[in-house]
Amino acid sequence: MSVLILFIVSFAAAISTFYVNEHLKQGPVRSSAFLSLTIAIFFFLFPKLLSPYLTTNIPVVFIGSSFIGMVSARLVSNYFLIGAAGLVFCTVYLNTSSFFNGYGGALGTSAAISLLAVLSLPILKASGKFTNGFHLLRKIVFNRKLRK
Amino acid sequence: MNWKKTIRISFVLFLLIIQSLFLIAILLEHQRTTFIPIFVIFISIALTITYLRAPLHHEEHTYEHVFVALWIPVGALCSYYINNILHLGPVMAAGMVGTSASFLPNLNKRSHYLKQLPPAFYCGAFIGMSSTKVASSMLFILAASIFTGMLMILSKSLFSGLGGKLGVLAFAGVTITSLIFFLIF
Repeated sequence: MSVLILFIVSFAAAISTFYVNEHLKQGPVRSSAFLSLTIAIFFFLFPKLLSPYLTTNIPVVFIGSSFIGMVSARLVSNYFLIGAAGLVFCTVYLNTSSFFNGYGGALGTSAAISLLAVLSLPILKASGKFTNGFHLLRKIVFNRKLRK
Repeated sequence: MNWKKTIRISFVLFLLIIQSLFLIAILLEHQRTTFIPIFVIFISIALTITYLRAPLHHEEHTYEHVFVALWIPVGALCSYYINNILHLGPVMAAGMVGTSASFLPNLNKRSHYLKQLPPAFYCGAFIGMSSTKVASSMLFILAASIFTGMLMILSKSLFSGLGGKLGVLAFAGVTITSLIFFLIF
């Protein structure tokens, strides 16, 4: 359950930061920093509202995922892709090597990796370079769904 | 190949290596599981596709002004102080520094220089998020800030608009400094 909450937080953080950045025109730094600060202050004031695991991890996941929302609309403007990058970020975060614990910038690196990975989806879609096997798999999956 | 192109390619390769190291560390730590190695392999393939095909870099290579990068140590030291001396935690530290810095352009809305400062401060704030186990002193933070500043100067037109770019620069600075401190001390 706690992990699911972290995934939801990550998804919401990326999207809300992008919204504040691009639609409310607050700029990438203010959108990420201000939203993260709000979450951090909330859990600082109410440390016993949720479990210690969530109280510790929600602000960290939020700020990390908010780095994804700092992306320029020139690169990606699809909310679904930004949210997907947030989910990838959460997976990377939950499995980050303990070797890099406490390294400044590790969250940003995870965010950049997640965003860069998700940015490959429009490239693959545009170039139509899915393999024949992938097309067949998609056909099988969707045909089955239609029959149901 | 001119030298600007050489610097650009070298820098992109350098960041790719940093990100690969990060993923390899995950892979090594989760060798016995099934999902994580598959996930890391998928991410690596996707990353390679984006590096090769996405319009992440401007054709014209430009450099960040040194007077912008100079603010990285200030952001880093402020963030480190809030994080490790006041013990308010890394998120609060980066949030405070970033939010305060984001209002700097309001001091003079016509100033092009002031508009460039918030990313430099925020990048510095990421360095200050390091724990005392990694960054044991202010000297470490200053050294990491100098390396990050150099990387920032070189990378103005690279990965522009990419979320997490500042974090990667900070991470590279901290990693280089850790390695140097490990070898020296």
